[in-house]
Amino acid sequence: MDALFLEFFQNTGFYLCDYRYIIMIIIGCIFIYLGIAKHYEPLLLVPIGFGMLVGNIPIFKGLGLGIYESNSVLHYLYFGVTQGIYPPLIFLGIGAMTDFSTLLARPVLMLLGAAAQAGIFITFIGALALGFAPNEASAIGIIGGADGPTAIFLTAKLAPRLIGPIAVAAYSYMALVPVIQPPIMKLLTSREERLIRMEEPREVSKKEKVIFPIVAFLLCCFLAPAALPLLGMLCFGNLLKEAVVTERLAVAARNAIIDTATILLGLTVGASTQGDVFLTGSSVRIFVLGACSFAIATACGLLFAKLMNLFLKTKINPLLGAAGVSAVPDSARVVQHVGQQEDPTNFLLMHAMAPNVSGVIGSAIAAGVLWSLMA
Amino acid sequence: MYGLEAIQAHNGWAVAVVGITIVFTGLVVLSLIISQLHKVLDFISNPNKFEVFRPANVEPADKKDEPVEEVPSFTGAQMETARQYRMLARTLEDEFLLPKLLNLAVISGVDKPHANLGLLVRAGVITPDGQGFFQWNQDAFDRIIS
Repeated sequence: MDALFLEFFQNTGFYLCDYRYIIMIIIGCIFIYLGIAKHYEPLLLVPIGFGMLVGNIPIFKGLGLGIYESNSVLHYLYFGVTQGIYPPLIFLGIGAMTDFSTLLARPVLMLLGAAAQAGIFITFIGALALGFAPNEASAIGIIGGADGPTAIFLTAKLAPRLIGPIAVAAYSYMALVPVIQPPIMKLLTSREERLIRMEEPREVSKKEKVIFPIVAFLLCCFLAPAALPLLGMLCFGNLLKEAVVTERLAVAARNAIIDTATILLGLTVGASTQGDVFLTGSSVRIFVLGACSFAIATACGLLFAKLMNLFLKTKINPLLGAAGVSAVPDSARVVQHVGQQEDPTNFLLMHAMAPNVSGVIGSAIAAGVLWSLMA
Repeated sequence: MYGLEAIQAHNGWAVAVVGITIVFTGLVVLSLIISQLHKVLDFISNPNKFEVFRPANVEPADKKDEPVEEVPSFTGAQMETARQYRMLARTLEDEFLLPKLLNLAVISGVDKPHANLGLLVRAGVITPDGQGFFQWNQDAFDRIIS
């Protein structure tokens, strides 16, 4: 009987545990705390945080429980991540939620979304310099796009072994947008610039809204065909929304489909951060590079807005440049918040949504470009 | 391999430049197209408005003939959101700040608060008083809901 107890005990988590699992469980709890108590991207951080708890229960290998064991339930769910299935479904939902009116009313703001993507390529160079292979450097650079699904999609295609750290880094920094961006925004803009008021956007007709996703899809995917899975679903979702006659499908896309995909993606990405495979030197470097990527993307957007002001007759508020990173809608909210700290009656949110949604398109194109150059 | 040597060996500079260029090109062309889109649609729906395409014997359309400004159409869900906004606006002063109403809507879990607020402003249901405050236009609201 003693031998049976001993054998059972040797299969418990208490016996198999080592410090790496404990560290990851603590990080998972921090994610859950940030999501629930601080409201930092709760829809993402809570599933990922709980997934970290799921993935870091020390288990006896061979029972078919772990996410990296080919016969486990978690492994089947993780298939949607490794094969890049969940990100396009999330993009479908994002498309069905997004209103491109402000972008259509002032298309010049789209350039801010393009400028912010420079952070991706600058970080790509940084990652190469730190010794990462080109495909890994591409996946790390895309963190600067501040778009979790895009980062996961590209990593699944180019560097599947880095999905865990890159996904966690991408979502962590997306959640920390209100902490990371404001100091950079204040550092790179003067008070006078932050006080600039945006002119009222023109009225956008229904026809324009319906035509936009079709034109955007055709143009961007002819230019960067590898962006097809992401941009195709984004534009399709938006067409469902704007067509009105497909309202039922749009409602399904922006509620049931995106919620299901988010739960499965968050939980399995969290579960993929098993301490023994996650806590490595390269994960630390990925986190450092991810932070740099995010900061550079924000700075590029801000500086490009200032550059545009040298040529524009009607000046734009350079804070909008920070919304060029595609953390929708958090970075637009941060722009609104920082703008209102200087002038409580200055309403920048709607204007900031333009570079914000163009950042989504820009980061999907950037992912497509990197995929086609590295694959 | 590390540093500049690694960047050089993996053609890093060229990849970065090509990548940035493609992203910029894509978004610049897209922005150019959509900046002209409303003009093209306007032309298709009313070619006589454009000097070049107007027959020589036709007088330019006077102001009375110009189409009335299009009032955005509301879906069922948007009407419901408009009703929610009306209830929220009633909790405020007659003249209120837009961010305050938006904040209330966000806290109350109104569906797509920013987009729907914009829709109400465009439809004239919420009108600016010219001094930074906004008012609820009940007549415009009734017209849309009915």
